[in-house]
Amino acid sequence: MSMQSLNNLVARSIIDPGVVHLFGEGKLKTILDDMEFSPPLRDELVSITASNWTDFAVQAYRVVKAAEAAAETQVQLPSPLEGLTRDSSWTDQEQVA
Amino acid sequence: MKHTTREERQWLLKNIAAGLNEYLNTTSPPVPVEELLLHPPAPYEQDFGVVDIFTRIWDATFVRPLNKKGSVFVRVDLPPEDRSYALARETLLALISGEYGRRLGLHETLLPYLNESADFFAAELLAPDALVQSYKAQNGKEEEFAETFRLPAHVAESRWESCSTLQ
Repeated sequence: MSMQSLNNLVARSIIDPGVVHLFGEGKLKTILDDMEFSPPLRDELVSITASNWTDFAVQAYRVVKAAEAAAETQVQLPSPLEGLTRDSSWTDQEQVA
Repeated sequence: MKHTTREERQWLLKNIAAGLNEYLNTTSPPVPVEELLLHPPAPYEQDFGVVDIFTRIWDATFVRPLNKKGSVFVRVDLPPEDRSYALARETLLALISGEYGRRLGLHETLLPYLNESADFFAAELLAPDALVQSYKAQNGKEEEFAETFRLPAHVAESRWESCSTLQ
């Protein structure tokens, strides 16, 4: 969803000078507040130092892509609380050496 | 200029094309690229235009005389598929070299890679993912894809392939 939000923002900036105007005035947070970014990701995007809008867009792409990749990895990794196997009924069984 | 990868530039180009298609409110092929050039979004009023010319030297080229409106000069006798693709390619140069495009900083990232960027952009502008997926979902035929989207055959072939891997 975050990447889709960033895509929408960049696409909009191509035809809407208002986006770039706010960016130039250092009011990026105003734009991002209306979009579906998590608060930590929004903070990270606001803290990007860029020489122009395109530079910001590319850096934002890297940040969002990394965040989505990290989120995907978290989903795929089993929780340590589950033990080494997801089949808890099997791990709960007593075993003979 | 900061380094960008091809993947990053392609992501950027895809979104530039998406923005222009949003402006055109494109819901079905073919994408009216000539309309875009004749009636551009406000930031590009001084950059977009079309002039038909008689030439055998090239298909189309973007020209901006000093302190005057820019236009794509296009061969008058091109077949529709070649014409729309040539106009779409030159639209990128018009866009990134104009005042607003420079304000965005597009020229710094894309001008050094203009040829590959223009080809990628033209295919994305004329055949956006959503329209291609919709065409395929409605059992659109591959043989009619080029004509429906007004793409040259070689571009249609690679676009059809690249969209077959989309989720």
